[in-house]
Amino acid sequence: MKPAPFDYVAARTVAEAVEALGGTGHKAQVLAGGQSLILEMRLQRVRPDLVVDINRIRELGGMSIEDGDLRVGALVRHTAFESAEVAPGPLGTLLSRAVVNIAHPPIRSRGTMVGSFGWAHPASEWCAIGVTLEAVVEMTGPDGTRSVAAGDYFLGPHRSERRPMELITSVRLPLLREDTGVGFLEHRRTGFCFAQVAVAATLTVTDGAISGARIGLANCADRPVRARAAERSLAGADIGPLPEGARLPDDHLFAHAGRIAAQEDAAPVAEPYADVEYKRQVIAVLVGRTLLEAAADQRARLAVREGRR
Amino acid sequence: MARWARREDARLLTGKGRYVADIDVPGCLEAAFVRSRVAHGRLRAVDCTAARDVPGVLGAWSATDLPDLPPVAILDRLSKDDAVAGREWPALVKDRVRYPGEALAVVVGEDRYRAEDGVAEVNATIDPLPAVVTPSAALRDDSVRLFDGLSNIALRGEAGTPVDPSVWQDAAVVVEAAYRQQLLMPSPMECRTILAVPEGDRLTVWAGHQMPHRLARSLAASLRRPADRIRVVVPDTGGAFGSKSAMFPEYLVVAYLALRLGRPVRWIEDRLESMLVATRGRGQEQTVRLAADTEGRLLAYELTIDADAGAYPHLGVTLPMITASMATGAYTTPHVHATVRSVLTNTMVTYPYRGAGRPEATTAIERTMDLLGRRLGIDPVELRRRNFIPSDAFPYETPTGRRYDSGNYSAALDLALRTLGYEKWRAERSRRHDDPDALPLGIGVSCYVERSGGEAGLLHEFGSVEAHEDGTVTARCGAASSGQSHETLFPALVAEALGVPETHVRLIEGDTDEQPEGVGSFASRSAQVAGAMFQHAAGLLVQEARERAAESWGLPVDEVDWADGGVHAASGGPAATSLGDLVKATGPLRVEDRYETSVAFPFGAHVAVAEVDPDLGTVNVLRLVAVEDCGVVLSPATVHGQTLGSTVQGIGQALYEGITFDDVGVPCLASGFLDYLLPTFAEIPPVDIRHTRTPNPGTPLGAKGAGESGCIGAPAAIVNAVADALRIADPGLLQTPLTPDIVWRAARAPGHGEGVR
Amino acid sequence: MKITLNVNGAGHFVDVEPRRLLADVLRDDLGLTGTHLGCEHGVCGACTVLMGGRPVRSCLVLAVQCDGSSVRTVEGLAEPDGEPHPLQRAFSAEHALQCGFCTPGFLMAAAGALEADPGLADDPEAIAGVVGSGICRCTGYEPIRRAVVRAAREQRGTAGRAP
Repeated sequence: MKPAPFDYVAARTVAEAVEALGGTGHKAQVLAGGQSLILEMRLQRVRPDLVVDINRIRELGGMSIEDGDLRVGALVRHTAFESAEVAPGPLGTLLSRAVVNIAHPPIRSRGTMVGSFGWAHPASEWCAIGVTLEAVVEMTGPDGTRSVAAGDYFLGPHRSERRPMELITSVRLPLLREDTGVGFLEHRRTGFCFAQVAVAATLTVTDGAISGARIGLANCADRPVRARAAERSLAGADIGPLPEGARLPDDHLFAHAGRIAAQEDAAPVAEPYADVEYKRQVIAVLVGRTLLEAAADQRARLAVREGRR
Repeated sequence: MARWARREDARLLTGKGRYVADIDVPGCLEAAFVRSRVAHGRLRAVDCTAARDVPGVLGAWSATDLPDLPPVAILDRLSKDDAVAGREWPALVKDRVRYPGEALAVVVGEDRYRAEDGVAEVNATIDPLPAVVTPSAALRDDSVRLFDGLSNIALRGEAGTPVDPSVWQDAAVVVEAAYRQQLLMPSPMECRTILAVPEGDRLTVWAGHQMPHRLARSLAASLRRPADRIRVVVPDTGGAFGSKSAMFPEYLVVAYLALRLGRPVRWIEDRLESMLVATRGRGQEQTVRLAADTEGRLLAYELTIDADAGAYPHLGVTLPMITASMATGAYTTPHVHATVRSVLTNTMVTYPYRGAGRPEATTAIERTMDLLGRRLGIDPVELRRRNFIPSDAFPYETPTGRRYDSGNYSAALDLALRTLGYEKWRAERSRRHDDPDALPLGIGVSCYVERSGGEAGLLHEFGSVEAHEDGTVTARCGAASSGQSHETLFPALVAEALGVPETHVRLIEGDTDEQPEGVGSFASRSAQVAGAMFQHAAGLLVQEARERAAESWGLPVDEVDWADGGVHAASGGPAATSLGDLVKATGPLRVEDRYETSVAFPFGAHVAVAEVDPDLGTVNVLRLVAVEDCGVVLSPATVHGQTLGSTVQGIGQALYEGITFDDVGVPCLASGFLDYLLPTFAEIPPVDIRHTRTPNPGTPLGAKGAGESGCIGAPAAIVNAVADALRIADPGLLQTPLTPDIVWRAARAPGHGEGVR
Repeated sequence: MKITLNVNGAGHFVDVEPRRLLADVLRDDLGLTGTHLGCEHGVCGACTVLMGGRPVRSCLVLAVQCDGSSVRTVEGLAEPDGEPHPLQRAFSAEHALQCGFCTPGFLMAAAGALEADPGLADDPEAIAGVVGSGICRCTGYEPIRRAVVRAAREQRGTAGRAP
């Protein structure tokens, strides 16, 4: 289907965009990459009266390191994260492992990370990573700018703390320490669909014991979820030798953490081809495997550092 | 080498292809349809008033506004008269919605945007009725009838004769199973298209289509116009796979409006509406029973089919009879009986989709062969070899009424196993079985017999070959290409038969003015039927040329030879002339042909190796070998392409494609191709394609059909590989598509062997 | 809205509604019908064109967003003298098309990748990403992969057949 008619404003500055968003009483949508918005407009599930195009706002185009954070402007496309060099250390690795799961190259050359936060789809990889890393969402509205922690930002499918007259200008992701390993795994039916489940994990290991673990879940609830109960189960645990082979032993601590994430942290919503029982199974398995990937990544980083010494 | 491998490529690779949506017609209006959001209901009212006031909208009509709009005519015995009687398919809903998306009204606008603006302003009131979307539901719940006072069963049929109960009682082993062949969407990349242009007292219809002559006759019959007043032209067509051979309600509405308005009207189906209202394929619920002796020799096979015919009794009613008649498969089973009930449901009509009845037959017997092998402890390959129809038994009359023309089934299977390295994979399978940490691996075999060319009454094609004064040749036929390289292959065939350069021959097809009679492109018949027709027609042209030369030279015909594109006296000497000069000397030279072939039975074997992750239920096909025997191959590259493409569609049926429905019978497809998952490159395993060659004895050309075999053989091979990997005792747990959730549940169920963790 | 588009090197001034998609403006306003619409929701890839050198779904980009941008379509793939692009020759040689409907999208996705990465021939994952970014129902994809490899090798200067 074709989109229904709408008014269009191509803002040149954040102030212009905010003014346009707040200037009328009707339904407005922000257009950045448009790979979700225009899709939804074509499916006529979204029918804005006004589209505010922010693609010509130069100040939103950049990415920078500030105070230990990677600050990602609202016009940074997914494709920018395809190289692990996008950010120093494990963060760049995590982002590059996640981004390949987002659709495919022509979508990634338009869509934006910040747009994913604005859209707040429960299966979004970026939103799950934001929750995992305690990212901060920076918004500008008629009353000035404000920041909201990702953990508080998401309220449900396509619902967030962003008010209709606010524009998300950037997302800040904290850089990760060199002694942290990262993992990202996604389970889906083909290359062309949303994740049934995706998991992001980081593991920090001190003297062979887990000193920090973060686990984020995509599409495991009506919003991205931090698997805190599963993280607690790992605190202080001795990581030991990593199991080999395709299947994680049931009695391994990562498998245990996976079951906790599935039972206590997740609140899966049934979909065609993935009912709640199956989703919990996938969460348990995928969390275990993602932790294993993060542990292997941590070991590899350690080996590089020790080799360098 | 020429710049382009195919003639088509010169335009298709440079953006110069011409599909219906590309045709620039001044003043053309675009149509959009108002679609029912409910699957089943009574239509109370449709109000188009507001739509007519939308800027750029030129008209909006419901069935009430168009009392003389005819219903869909069903010609050519596509369905059965008693199935059609009392079950009229209106072009726009009159009083009862029977499938989701059924057209309630049509809006025409200056462009598609305007037409859709109008659609948004049409208000319809429908009182919902309970919907039935599967045969079992439509049979179970007799209170829900699609047509008041008429049964939901539109047809009962059978092939073969009932098996004597004593056969089952006395057999050493009898296995039973139930299978579901899910509804599939053919999904050509170009959806359905039609452009109707009134010109004087004629109507020219452009459509992406497989059977232009049938479309012309159907439109003429429905609109009550002489057939010669309707010309159908098929330009470039973006794939069809069986789904573009009918006159659909939308086509009738567009043609009707073009005549009524006296203006060109076009409808380009949108993908989202296509997902609601384009024809579906497959859609069978089957039960099987197979009896054998202790050595695994088959004694009897019974197949019952409850087929989803869709909401109206179209071709989907009779299509399952193909499955019944092909139930026998590749084996010498003495008693085979297949029964069919074609059941009306609240879904868009079922229709041929690549394979059309044969994948359903193959999957049923081939899955059951594996079940029997497991029960008897006989290797599935060995079990098949013991039961193959031997190569010296052809022609072979099957108990289900088919006369297989030629075959060497064990040769195809042997080649498949050799290509795969069967013993090596058997060893890997055992190794993994003994290693609790390894992902289980299975090997699946599927031996199929295909039926190509069509059914009785549709086994012929019309065409002509015409020589011109400049020595060039024009070949015409009633076929229409939707990607099968006709434009390259048919001229090459005619050129070879005449001994003239390929570049001297051109093809005209897909135009009912150029070729007054024609049948079309379906049932893998391009090479087998149209190819054989051209070879025959070229022979007639040669004969005519020799007769003319003989007359002008005063020689007996048998003293005039044909060689290298010209005639000459057999005795040698100066009497010789080229084809072009002969035309100059003797006048127009054109032969018309109607050539009829017999049904052909290509065959082959697929072997799949699949690895299963039992914790997630994911299936990873590691290798797929497809051995196909389609007789004489005219173009290896074309046949290879057809086989690979078809095989990938078979992978789609096995693992990915399916339609789920919500509680009120509406398909859960609101996100289009994000909900209905076609295989992408990421899902394609390494596929090896090989051929054996057993010529078609029915034509001098010797070609059999090559377009459909892949999707006939592949699904059962993949499902059998998964069942083998998981050693599943109950085959009912593995119903296609084998999505991860299905496989995970199956993996948790008790296996027939030990060691399923 | 009045906008300026540079398509295949030629400037066009068009007056479009904001809601009009780039694909429709290319096809209907500019008559460049080589760009096909296969799904109109961004999945199938038949409508892929290059915008500022990058492959995009022209069914998911508003024409007004392209004001002042350069767009390249399949009509602009060959040399001005008509000499085919290596991808066009490779697609034909490898039988990477049958009905041809999805083909312009695959060609442009591959053209974007080739221009961005001269070493594409040595990056099977990137090639898989290109071939995996569209739907083809005829070929089974492998011929498309071979064609992209063939063209990438030719571009790199070590002509040879795909493995």
